[in-house]
Amino acid sequence: MAEKPQPVKVLYCAVCSLPAEYCEFGPDFEKCKPWLLKNAPELYPDLLKDATGKEADKVSEQLQSVGISSGGGRDGAASTASPGDSSSNKLEEVKRLPGGKVKKKDKQEVVIEKVVRNKRKCITVVKGLELFGIKLSDASKKLGKKFATGASVVKGPTDKEQIDVQGDISLDIVEFLTETWPDVPEAAIYFIEDGKKVPVV
Amino acid sequence: MFKKFSSEDVSAQNQVKASVQRKIRQSIAEEYPGLEPVLDDLLPKKSPLIVAKCQNHLNLVLVNNVPLFFNIRDGPYMPTLRLLHQYPNIMKKLQVDRGAIRFVLAGANIMCPGLTSPGGALDDQVGAETPVVIMAEGKQHALAIGFTKMSAKDIRAINKGIGVDNMHYLNDGLWKMERLD
Repeated sequence: MAEKPQPVKVLYCAVCSLPAEYCEFGPDFEKCKPWLLKNAPELYPDLLKDATGKEADKVSEQLQSVGISSGGGRDGAASTASPGDSSSNKLEEVKRLPGGKVKKKDKQEVVIEKVVRNKRKCITVVKGLELFGIKLSDASKKLGKKFATGASVVKGPTDKEQIDVQGDISLDIVEFLTETWPDVPEAAIYFIEDGKKVPVV
Repeated sequence: MFKKFSSEDVSAQNQVKASVQRKIRQSIAEEYPGLEPVLDDLLPKKSPLIVAKCQNHLNLVLVNNVPLFFNIRDGPYMPTLRLLHQYPNIMKKLQVDRGAIRFVLAGANIMCPGLTSPGGALDDQVGAETPVVIMAEGKQHALAIGFTKMSAKDIRAINKGIGVDNMHYLNDGLWKMERLD
């Protein structure tokens, strides 16, 4: 292995992010189909057939399954599995809600967390203000002034910026936030208590 | 293992010191000799190596915010599937039959019959407790990364129960996390 092995370029489906050949097992094969037809028609010859004879979709599917089962005994098992696949697709559609939840992260919300620093000293961490188009440096100054404590913009664990305010101000901060920045609705503010997100209202 | 995994599960990530970096690099080179020529490209000496600690004693090795390797409890480092797709020949391969793909993609562990059936293939040199890549019948690219529970010979002989633990599979949480920042 003296020479450098070149990285293999893998065609990933733009819809479901899987390698194109795995789309049929992906969360939503139906949605991938148009993309596959355009970009990787050779992987799914059946699809091309479908596209040309769309009016008889079901008939052609049946034809295919017949063709497969005539191909070999073991493949017969695969063809019986294919209706199961379609039902699992339906299941996946429901299941995708958790995926939606993941997307929620980009939603505008302010998260307030109290971190105990030294038994009776603590820091209030405010995350997510920047999502409302608020300048963090301005915000930290205002917070510091209002509560007469140190307040600074700090890089959080995942490179996101957050404001650390000295002292426990979690009780007053909600009112202050909603008053100074009317864009921030009270419903979008969350506390973190025992590692759980709790809405303020 | 990565069925539900998101950036929220990362409890801390920090740039590791040079000595740790060297150790990681060395253990990866030992585990995957095939990767050695490109290791300098993958883990450039200059750009900082970041290790993200996650729940369940899991570590991710990041370069430029892209997860490249993971390991558990100081176990062997395993590449992520995206990396493995680029360099497919660095690990021992096992192949499952077509019927199993569906379940593996749902996060199931790999059962022995799926490996021994006509659609599957076994590399007899594979011992117990080694990282392997799971290929699929009729597919070019890797399906999952697993950690063998028993050796290939045992899999053939016993032919029952879990043969390979499913560590990381297509479309799981780690797969979806192309970048961590």
